[in-house]
Amino acid sequence: MDISFSEQDLQFQEEIRAGLNGAEYPAHVKEKQEKGINFSKQDVIDFHKFLSSKGWMGYNWPVEYGGTGWSPVQIYLFLNELALAQSPTILPFGVGMVGPVIYTFGTQEQKDRFLPDILNFDTWWCQGYSEPGSGSDLASLKTKAVLDGDQYIVNGSKTWTTLAQNADWIFCLVRTETTQKKQEGISFLLIDMNTPGIEVKPIITIDGDHEVNSVFFTDVKVPADQLIGEEGKGWTYAKFLLAHERFGIAGVPVVKVQIDRLKNLTAEYNDADLNRKIAELEIDLEALEFTELRTLAAIAEGGHPGAESSILKIRGTEIQQRLTELYVEAAGQYILPYEGPDGFESNRTPSGPEYASPSVAQYLNYRKTSIYGGSNEIQKNIIAKAILGV
Amino acid sequence: MNLNYSDEQNMLREQVLKFCETNYDFIDREKILESDSGFSKDNWQQFAELGWLAVPFKEENGGFNFGPVELTVLFEEFGKALVVEPYLSSVVMSGTIIENSNHKNKSSIIEKIISGEHQISVAYAEPNIGYKFFDCYASTSVNNNILSLNGTKSLVLNAGNASQFIVLAKHDGLSALIMIDAEVDGLSIQSFKTIDGQTCGELTFENVSIDTDSIIASGVDAEALFNKMMDLSILCISAEAVGAMNASYMKTVQYTKEREQFSQPISNFQVLQHRMVDMFIETELTKSLLIKATLQLDSNDPNAENTISALKVQVGKAGRLIGQNAVQLHGGMGVSNEMSIGHYLKRFTAIDSMFGNTQYHINKYQTNQ
Repeated sequence: MDISFSEQDLQFQEEIRAGLNGAEYPAHVKEKQEKGINFSKQDVIDFHKFLSSKGWMGYNWPVEYGGTGWSPVQIYLFLNELALAQSPTILPFGVGMVGPVIYTFGTQEQKDRFLPDILNFDTWWCQGYSEPGSGSDLASLKTKAVLDGDQYIVNGSKTWTTLAQNADWIFCLVRTETTQKKQEGISFLLIDMNTPGIEVKPIITIDGDHEVNSVFFTDVKVPADQLIGEEGKGWTYAKFLLAHERFGIAGVPVVKVQIDRLKNLTAEYNDADLNRKIAELEIDLEALEFTELRTLAAIAEGGHPGAESSILKIRGTEIQQRLTELYVEAAGQYILPYEGPDGFESNRTPSGPEYASPSVAQYLNYRKTSIYGGSNEIQKNIIAKAILGV
Repeated sequence: MNLNYSDEQNMLREQVLKFCETNYDFIDREKILESDSGFSKDNWQQFAELGWLAVPFKEENGGFNFGPVELTVLFEEFGKALVVEPYLSSVVMSGTIIENSNHKNKSSIIEKIISGEHQISVAYAEPNIGYKFFDCYASTSVNNNILSLNGTKSLVLNAGNASQFIVLAKHDGLSALIMIDAEVDGLSIQSFKTIDGQTCGELTFENVSIDTDSIIASGVDAEALFNKMMDLSILCISAEAVGAMNASYMKTVQYTKEREQFSQPISNFQVLQHRMVDMFIETELTKSLLIKATLQLDSNDPNAENTISALKVQVGKAGRLIGQNAVQLHGGMGVSNEMSIGHYLKRFTAIDSMFGNTQYHINKYQTNQ
């Protein structure tokens, strides 16, 4: 047994670190990440363009599709360095989700058409999975696509669509057939967000932010060559995609940075009760981090992340949520004044520590983590079935 | 990066597993608990013959020169079967101190531990000092040119069977580790059963005369040696806890599949499923910290002490959650002493209390940072 990284891996880590501190890194993004200020749409684009310029955008892709061909350990170290630098998060929808589906199941023409734009971040993708009537029971989805000549006519609606307001394209699970087994009539369709008949309506979440949307489809005409793989096999592709999504989901390095920040912010409080809770959170984080390393070691040897990776999602989100609770607890009554997306009313800053308002917004926002990506209850169902056999 | 056990380590695990399957079912164990000594001398002899008592010792002392990884393999399997033989006190605790001390006869003492002939226990706790073992009251004094020891040591594991004790006491105002024969004049031993079916004893020393050769370490050396012993002991009982956690959740899954109520196996109920998933998750998280601590201790990593505290906290919390839920899901059977499941809860409770409990190690973790 040996948990140390190899010389090459450590050298790789140095290269990434140097790149993130290099002159090519967008200065305005760096300034915001150091001050903990929210990123604008343009910041996010500039950050992704930087990744493209370094050739890092396809960090999880094989070389033959323009990716880096990095090993699982290198991918882990890369994501770790980004998080420690507090850079923006890599948007998962293109490079993490639809990209691997396209290069695995798409036609040559689809690969040529879509993959370069993902790697250059020339298209912003969003994910059309959940529907008003289909959350945890995703396979019950009803958005309909009917083949009419060489195009599909799509009708229905998607919801909780993250950053659809910025997106150029959406990948959708649609029903092409009503079958006995609901999973069998689902297909995987790529749709240009500028197609007539698509309407995006904001959903404001409890923190006051506009992050998610409803997307409505009314007689939307989608060329049939934007279907991925075979009709009726969409569920298989969706499951493949979910297996790809697990990496880094635990969010360990981000929490690490935020715990250190909380310790600094509250050092002068000398609050034994708070300090004790922080220590307990750190201990739980250590256990989670090493569990992720165990998973990584298994993948590095050619194994597959099994249902065990559900642990990372469940415990990772629990820890993230507990951290936001501690920030709120530390700030006490000063969380009360509401700071909306456009700042405080009357443009004055209320009394209390500066971290108070962002903390409560984060606390409210992070309730989503145990709900999205398969709610934690669904994750427990998966473990119960796949591992415990009940 | 490689987190696989070696072939040799896997063979050791297989061997212990097989031994426990053949010799250590719940009824075998009950008989052992009822015996006078509280452990099986036959089993101990077999441990010796299988070479298990030699596992952590250096080759020059007749051992296998194995490290923390092998010890945790052994203890994980012990934990699954709730083995009560005094391996921790005699081999890990006493063995570590003696092998790293300056005792003049250490080779011959270790030889007797390895052969199974000798059991030795460490006497470190006292009635009124909690976990501050170095603040002890037991101390040496000189009367008429004779060096003698006075005081009380508590909760000495396996005290009734030990032929010698290593006593933590004050000597010239400093911590010292003193080797004392069980038969010596002035030492009285009161034995007790522990809540989890093992044995311990209260030692009272009244003017027990000692010679300076029996002081096998003193001052900072004694404290460093004692701390080294504590770290390794925490690692071992944590591994034991991980084994017991594994057994607890697996036995619970099995039981809920067989137990029928409302005309169906109770494992069909989602509330119970999610509790068992929680038990599984906590087991895996504990195992993660166990491996991390083991590898750090093995490589003398400066963070090892802190990770050991993190591990002890996780063992305490997870042991409570898993032990309690295992009992709960077994229903009335869970609180019956005739079922093994409640005995795991007792062992978790005992393990948490030893060498600093959850509260103690949270504080230690915080101060070390």
